[in-house]
Amino acid sequence: MATITTQAPAAVPVTEARPALWRRVPTGVLFTLPFLLFYAAFLIWPTISAFGLSFFNESLTGTRGELVGLRNWTEMLGDAAMWSALGNTLYFTVLSTPPLVLLGLVMALLTNRVMPLRWLWRLSFFMPFLLPASVMSLIWLWLYQPGFGLLNGALTSLGISEVGWLSDPSLAMISVVIATLWWTVGFNFLLYLAALQQIPEQLYEAASIDGAGWWQRLWSITLPMLGRTTGLVIVLQLLASLRLFDQAYLIYQGSGGPAFSARPVLEYVYDTAFTSFRFGYASAISSFFFVLIVVVSVTQLKLFPSRREDER
Amino acid sequence: MTAVATPDRSPRATARAWNVAGLIVTAIIALLWLVPLLWAVDTALKPEGETTKIPVTWWSDNLGFEAFRKVFTESDLVRWFLNSTVVAAGVTVLVLVTASMAAYGFARTEFRGRKVLLAVVVAGIMVPPQVLVVPLFREMLGLGLVDTYWAMILPQVAAPAMVFILKKFFDGLPRELEEAARVDGASPWRLYWQIVLPLSRPVLAAVGIFTFIFTWNNFFWPFLAVSDPDLMTIPVGLATVQSSYGLRYAQIMASAVLGGLPLLVAYVFFQRDIIRSVAHTGLSGT
Amino acid sequence: MADGPPRPSRRAVLGAALALGTLTLAGCGGEGGTTKVRYWNLFGGGDGALMLTMQDEFRNNNPGIALEAVTLAWGAPYYTKLAMAAAGGRAPDVAVLHLSRLTGYAPGHLLDPFDEKLLAEFGVTRDQFPPGLIERATVDGRLYALPLDTHPFVMYYNTDIAQKAGLLGPDGKLAPISGPDALIDALTKAKQVTGAYGLALDNLDVMPWRLFWALYRQQDGDITLPAGGSVGIDDVKALKVLNFMGQLTAEGLATRNVDYPGAVATFAGGKAGFHWNGGWETATFTTAKMPYSMTRLPNIFGNARTSGDAHSFVLPHQRARDPITTRASYRFITELLKSSVTWGRAGHVPAYQPVVAEPAYLALKPQSEYRDVTPDVQLDPPAWFSGSGSDFENQAGSAFQRVLAGSLTPEQALAQFKAAVDKLLSTPSPV
Repeated sequence: MATITTQAPAAVPVTEARPALWRRVPTGVLFTLPFLLFYAAFLIWPTISAFGLSFFNESLTGTRGELVGLRNWTEMLGDAAMWSALGNTLYFTVLSTPPLVLLGLVMALLTNRVMPLRWLWRLSFFMPFLLPASVMSLIWLWLYQPGFGLLNGALTSLGISEVGWLSDPSLAMISVVIATLWWTVGFNFLLYLAALQQIPEQLYEAASIDGAGWWQRLWSITLPMLGRTTGLVIVLQLLASLRLFDQAYLIYQGSGGPAFSARPVLEYVYDTAFTSFRFGYASAISSFFFVLIVVVSVTQLKLFPSRREDER
Repeated sequence: MTAVATPDRSPRATARAWNVAGLIVTAIIALLWLVPLLWAVDTALKPEGETTKIPVTWWSDNLGFEAFRKVFTESDLVRWFLNSTVVAAGVTVLVLVTASMAAYGFARTEFRGRKVLLAVVVAGIMVPPQVLVVPLFREMLGLGLVDTYWAMILPQVAAPAMVFILKKFFDGLPRELEEAARVDGASPWRLYWQIVLPLSRPVLAAVGIFTFIFTWNNFFWPFLAVSDPDLMTIPVGLATVQSSYGLRYAQIMASAVLGGLPLLVAYVFFQRDIIRSVAHTGLSGT
Repeated sequence: MADGPPRPSRRAVLGAALALGTLTLAGCGGEGGTTKVRYWNLFGGGDGALMLTMQDEFRNNNPGIALEAVTLAWGAPYYTKLAMAAAGGRAPDVAVLHLSRLTGYAPGHLLDPFDEKLLAEFGVTRDQFPPGLIERATVDGRLYALPLDTHPFVMYYNTDIAQKAGLLGPDGKLAPISGPDALIDALTKAKQVTGAYGLALDNLDVMPWRLFWALYRQQDGDITLPAGGSVGIDDVKALKVLNFMGQLTAEGLATRNVDYPGAVATFAGGKAGFHWNGGWETATFTTAKMPYSMTRLPNIFGNARTSGDAHSFVLPHQRARDPITTRASYRFITELLKSSVTWGRAGHVPAYQPVVAEPAYLALKPQSEYRDVTPDVQLDPPAWFSGSGSDFENQAGSAFQRVLAGSLTPEQALAQFKAAVDKLLSTPSPV
């Protein structure tokens, strides 16, 4: 554990002593510096400055900018719209994560076996993931139309009455979930597929000799071997779902959906900052949300500690 | 231990039944997954007047490429395509250079503060860049970069996950080759450039491919950073600029299809590499 | 001209340091000899196509000016982009703004004022516009917007269907409809003809607010928006409107849960005899070659007022305004105003009064038939958060659409509206 920093051998001048300053800087610092500059400028500084900004009433218009103390924070705690937007984000996360993980696994299990047209099945599962959010949203906006939309058209032809996919407040977020499932399940599918391909064949062969059927092998070999992958997929998926913005914003064209029932917290931040021009207040909300995400992430690391051995 | 198959059926027959059932389920899901895209293409091929017919029908006697032609002549799709290429390529190159250097620094060199810095970088993976849009936009205002390519490119280069993936890969590389070269007097820069990077081609490809895809499709940040339609990327342009008027579902679907096409085409060419590369990123957890 | 707020000098320094790199990457400046004018608008309806015509005409007349025109998605997305571009300092030279949004646009910060002397050189002066509009376009004595039109919420009708339903007068025009019962009766008859709906109505986004505001103002209702206070609204009149709106969809007379394009398509497809919307879809229906005409929104609750707004030209704030580009921008704006007969074809009533008197405009039927509507067009009550496509309209729309959807009673929807507006009023103004 003792970390005595020994100078990397090459940092000892090989050529004759050049007086240049950068020679005396440890090589490792030079290697990491370019990235760290980007990192500091576009990740660390904004994080700090968001917290700082949350104590001012600065506006996009360039007017104002006085210190207002905790006023933004107290306003936020009593802001029903913020809580409802936060609730929408959590609702989306809870609703979308299980099917996105499970269906990704099922798709991978199905197409990991030799079968006709396997490339086509794999392609169709993954293809939507390659579409930009705006393309995906245009397509689903079209599918969800009342009357001449494909989904409602299919329902009416089956004798079922139409559903207000985009107009019913109790369905608005579910419509986003369905579209998201279609759009991003391919990524989880891909992670699972790669993991499946790394399970040693010998394990299955041994099990076959023991006379285990497909179902039995699934439960005794495949799923246990996928344990770590599943942990990772869940973590990534939760973080991705909590970041909901693009598709909700685009499907409802910035309106937040009927009665704002599909406005996630990040869209509320966006609305506050860029439509209502309130940078200070928006920073308070995003800082608050940031803290929530960190708490969730840390909890996950405690629950799924599998990757820790990388810290060498 | 206990046989799953019913006694009167051979394991082979059971296996075949499973295979057929699996194939059917797969085909059904795949069909469901293809329908939205097919419907988009179908709509784009119809004349505008027939897109809103009730009852809904897939067929039209007048299928044609009119909507596609209009999108090409009336919208800025080509311009956005070039912008997307500039931004995605710029970010990818910068990420490959900075992240691989940083990863090498963390994996192979020692300096004071290395562990702390590494921990700070790894912690950054948890930070969703979306919560930073307000201070980032303000920073870009301060730098005078709003409405430039730089505003879209620079923040996306700070990708700690890529450093982490590369560092993990470098950790797994055998050190013997480097030791030998070092004895011959090679500097760390030469070790990095002539030994480690060539050995890391697969993981670099993976990082490159995924950075490219994510950047190409990124919506939120470029949407904020750029308001000038001349600079918009495909996702932003499609969502913001309107290039047709009135009844225009066929044209909207045509532009959606065209907007999604570049990556789909690229994917078909690189499908094999992409699946393989996921394994190299260690993202699959194994 | 450039009288925006002085930005911190740090920005200037850093900006200068990066300017070189920016220029090389931003690339593609104007070619030598021509002046580039960048122009943004939000005309996505049938009027967008007419705007293209006017732009082409301008290009033909002014080969020395390279006009770069862009249409952005209507509403909040447009206004957000416009504000961000103005804050970023590389805003377009000319933009369209709903006059009702002016207060929220921090005139002097996000918008630069017009130089009226320069305007006069191009032959355009204040007194050529309706006084009500100019009043709203003026802040601290300076003119920040030049109105292009007023665009009322109007009623389209399918002449075939109206005829079959026996709703046309002897002159072949719609017989006047007055009062709620007459309207319900007309819609019912039209519904019997179409077999689907009487009225094609967009139920989502801001349309419910437009309908509400028109019918509320027809009863002389007022809404007051005192900053930091509570919204002032006449509950009795408001509930009367909301009950009526609910009745329209509940009985299947009007489309329910249909969005904007859906409503337009329903009317264009002959599935409804009437359509309430802004006048800007005339081009769409004309292109669709359907038999239609249009008229003012009927007097349902007492007077002939209707809701609406005025598109106007503004100069988004730029860090440094180039005099040559400015002249070219003024030329563009004034020529568009003078050629707004074309614009009148879109169903908008030109605001530039000399045009309204031109025979070419008067010959436009049915568009010029409601040109007297201008004084009756009711803009949103002014506040930093109100105006077309604003948060205020979204809040109002999202409350009132639930009456159309039948998921809230009028009382509940009114309570939701009041709570939302009170919250906006209690929000510290960012302007």
